[in-house]
Amino acid sequence: MRNSLTISFTVWRALLLREAIPRLFEHRAAWLWLVVEPVFHVVFLAFIFYGLRVRSVGGIDMVGWLMVGLIAFFLFSRTAVQAKNAIHMSRALYAYRQVLPIDTVLARGVLEMFLMTVIAVLLFAGAILLEFVALPVDPLLLMAAWLGLWLAGMGYGLMASVGTEISRELGNILQLLMMPLYFVSGVFFPVSVVPQPYRDILLMNPLTHGLEAARLGFVPHYHAIQELDLSYLYIFSLSAIFIGLLLQRRFKRKLRAL
Amino acid sequence: MIVLDNVHKRYKSRRGKAPWVLEGISLTIPSNVNVGLIGANGAGKSTLLRIIGGVDQPTKGRVERRCRVSWPMGFAGGLHDFLTGRQNAKFVARVHGHENDIKERVAYIDDFAELGDAFDKPVQTYSTGMRSRLQFAMSLAFSFDVYISDEVTAAGDAHFRQKSLNAFKELAGRAGLIMVSHGEGTLKQFCQAGIWLNEGRAHWFDRIDDALMAYRESIPK
Repeated sequence: MRNSLTISFTVWRALLLREAIPRLFEHRAAWLWLVVEPVFHVVFLAFIFYGLRVRSVGGIDMVGWLMVGLIAFFLFSRTAVQAKNAIHMSRALYAYRQVLPIDTVLARGVLEMFLMTVIAVLLFAGAILLEFVALPVDPLLLMAAWLGLWLAGMGYGLMASVGTEISRELGNILQLLMMPLYFVSGVFFPVSVVPQPYRDILLMNPLTHGLEAARLGFVPHYHAIQELDLSYLYIFSLSAIFIGLLLQRRFKRKLRAL
Repeated sequence: MIVLDNVHKRYKSRRGKAPWVLEGISLTIPSNVNVGLIGANGAGKSTLLRIIGGVDQPTKGRVERRCRVSWPMGFAGGLHDFLTGRQNAKFVARVHGHENDIKERVAYIDDFAELGDAFDKPVQTYSTGMRSRLQFAMSLAFSFDVYISDEVTAAGDAHFRQKSLNAFKELAGRAGLIMVSHGEGTLKQFCQAGIWLNEGRAHWFDRIDDALMAYRESIPK
């Protein structure tokens, strides 16, 4: 008999290797689309900004500003969506008693972190060569923001994956939430120019803090929001993960039942 | 030994709660005996088998497995359509903790399923027969104390059926078996003991013949 921790580790490894193949190769050039989607968003928004004669935002190059925000947001949203759908998509795997619903959520989340980090390195290497951005001056801050946004995605995914299974309607609502989040997180407008009292409302969104911190990690003289507080993002994410884990435990049986 | 303690099961249906399929089943199944599950259609044989195998969860009650229990042999789920036969086999080997001898396990599955080149093609290109061959080979590749089988011996073509029957006989000799079958001959051939499921309750018989007799007597004339 193996102990529980060994079983969990072998299951995570097996799931990670298994999930990676369809994620990268299921559709024709699926791996290419993973890269193309954020690039498309950057190009499209940059085109509009160019038309509006915006060349720089908050003291840094407009294209670089868009890129950092968008790729950081994609880390959150992809982790969140992939993790949210994990329990449902892996239903067939519960034939193997060792595989628990939460294992599939964690495996997908970790895979997304890995893929997005590779994609980000590739895209920023390109952007640095094209001189849209320079090498990050404060890589530690950048990594802290990156990790915080991923944790936020995991927190959302751990909670939403249970919600989706309990009620399909709730799942649909949670899915709808992603688009407004894209609009209010300061992906394509600087929150620092929004007048009060609206700015305080936008600042309640923890993702805004993560995105601004990522930009600040690249360029220290970037005019970030005054109220920037990365610990707010972390407290929010870790609380969400905690509640998510509680939900996973509370509904453990129900999630596996057919 | 597998201990079932007051196991209840009902499924969710669109119109609220469906009636109980299993209603308070308490059993202790020793791991060195081959057991046949008997009952009418819809009596809950497959449901009980899935609960014992841990694929499905009881609504109420508890299952305790004090030995290594297989997943239901030839279970239709569990294969990822996009992955190849080999990749699926590797996944199952990893989940069962065979990272070290993964090569031997996969080679065994490859050899037994006799899929040839198709073993490295996505499962979505397989015929039904090829799928069940892969599934049967996967369940044989790992050693368990108790195997669970739901009408499994009827898979594949004549050649493969003969081969799997031989493998099944060998299995029944060395490990415990809990199986569902509508063929009385199959049950008598493989099982010593029997469980008769009737109206959500289970009745244990030390001899399969007695179980079959009880079942036959319950059928309205």
